[in-house]
Amino acid sequence: MKRATLFSTLIVIMALCMAPALLLAAKVGAVAPDFTGAASNGQSIHLADYRGKYVVLEWHNNGCPFVGKQYNSGNMQNLQKQWTAKGVVWLTILSSAPGKQGYVSANEENAYLAKMQATPTAAVLDPSGSIGHLYDAKTSPHMFVINPQGVIIYDGAIDDKPTTDLADVPGAKNYVSVALEEAMAGKQVETPTTRPYGCSVKYSDASH
Amino acid sequence: MLFCAASLHADPSQIPHGTLDLVAENQWIAAGHGFSIGLFFQLEKGWHIYWINPGDSGEPPRVTWQLPSGLTASEIQWPTPRRLGSSSIVDYGYEGSVLLIVPMHATSSLVGSSARLAGEVKLLVCSDEMCLPGKTQLALTLPVRSQTPATDSRNANLFAAARKSMPRAAPANWKFSVADTNDSFVLTARLGRRVTRAVFFPLVESQIANAAAQTLGSENGGFRLTLRKSDQFSKPIERLKGVLVLPADGSHPEESYTIDAPVGKSAEASQRRAARFISRINFPITIVL
Repeated sequence: MKRATLFSTLIVIMALCMAPALLLAAKVGAVAPDFTGAASNGQSIHLADYRGKYVVLEWHNNGCPFVGKQYNSGNMQNLQKQWTAKGVVWLTILSSAPGKQGYVSANEENAYLAKMQATPTAAVLDPSGSIGHLYDAKTSPHMFVINPQGVIIYDGAIDDKPTTDLADVPGAKNYVSVALEEAMAGKQVETPTTRPYGCSVKYSDASH
Repeated sequence: MLFCAASLHADPSQIPHGTLDLVAENQWIAAGHGFSIGLFFQLEKGWHIYWINPGDSGEPPRVTWQLPSGLTASEIQWPTPRRLGSSSIVDYGYEGSVLLIVPMHATSSLVGSSARLAGEVKLLVCSDEMCLPGKTQLALTLPVRSQTPATDSRNANLFAAARKSMPRAAPANWKFSVADTNDSFVLTARLGRRVTRAVFFPLVESQIANAAAQTLGSENGGFRLTLRKSDQFSKPIERLKGVLVLPADGSHPEESYTIDAPVGKSAEASQRRAARFISRINFPITIVL
């Protein structure tokens, strides 16, 4: 083999080995960025503590009609109940800045969870938006699924019906449930990413 | 001359923070002719609706038509959108007033002396603070006559302005190509003139990172525009479609063009990236070879 050809081959092999390092944080296939946050129940939540379990991240804003569709239909509560019963850690994340729609105090969030009969593992208060920006969360809802090895296996919309109509919930394909079912069965996640739909996350203006 | 009593303007419908009118370009419909009607939105200051690709958040208006036999509707013709939002979340849409033209066609089988056009519009109207969904029924009754339709002068300006604001086909001698460089698409444009500012609006969701800066490299006779890929980008694409806006400069008013360019792998970019790693790490090995 000519020296030049062997050299080129080595270049290609090196480039392929380097490729995974070029993936940005918070993309499917990358390790989920670690974070620590304060939950509305007073707990401190550290994502790395959940290594070994599936984790779902649910970006939330109680004033957004797309979130309303999921909660007023009872769909989000059913998902939380169904999957936490199977050992999945469900974290609802609230990244609205103070004064903006969806911002709530710990007490207000606890009252909302009780009223809605929602049972996430914890509701993490992120008013500075640092966890939101870490994941580049764009909408409410915006869903992530992380596998027990700490890798993001789904990033995107909650389902395939980008509307505010409650009537669209029953017939929708729920991407979160499908990803969890496929991964738990040892299969490849067929739809690892979709465009998340919803209202924009209300980050503080200071984060511009 | 006798006119059928018919409304050329439906009563404006209330939508969240605005009104929505169904308007006709012509005074009547003639069988065997195409014609245009429009969805005329007038929004309160601070509120917007979305383009066909809404961007990072929001949803475009969707209309379901109920038309008599003999009438068919085509897809909405979208005016050039604006960039909305913040530096971390960028959407595409319209503020203030906007007319969404809907081309229609009346076949020769259209019967009767008038036709009632109805549609249900589902939409989302948002401000920086919040989003409000809306749903409204619109209806417009137009006379049906055999003569070539005459325009309705009351709406002429509205339709003319909307047509002016639609992106147009690029001149035939302009050349566009797109290179896929693993984390970006680089749009190369050869226009035969210097351009220092350009903005690209992707037609399809989840291809371009909407909030990422679009860096422009100006060259004689054209430019290169780097468009970072979306976090949700998954499968390779063969063509990049969208709207290219050249903002007004000293010598030209704002121009807007539809783009549909082939995407090729950038061999140059892959070699450059590989060479960078090799030069840092592999130099001793290459000496041994």
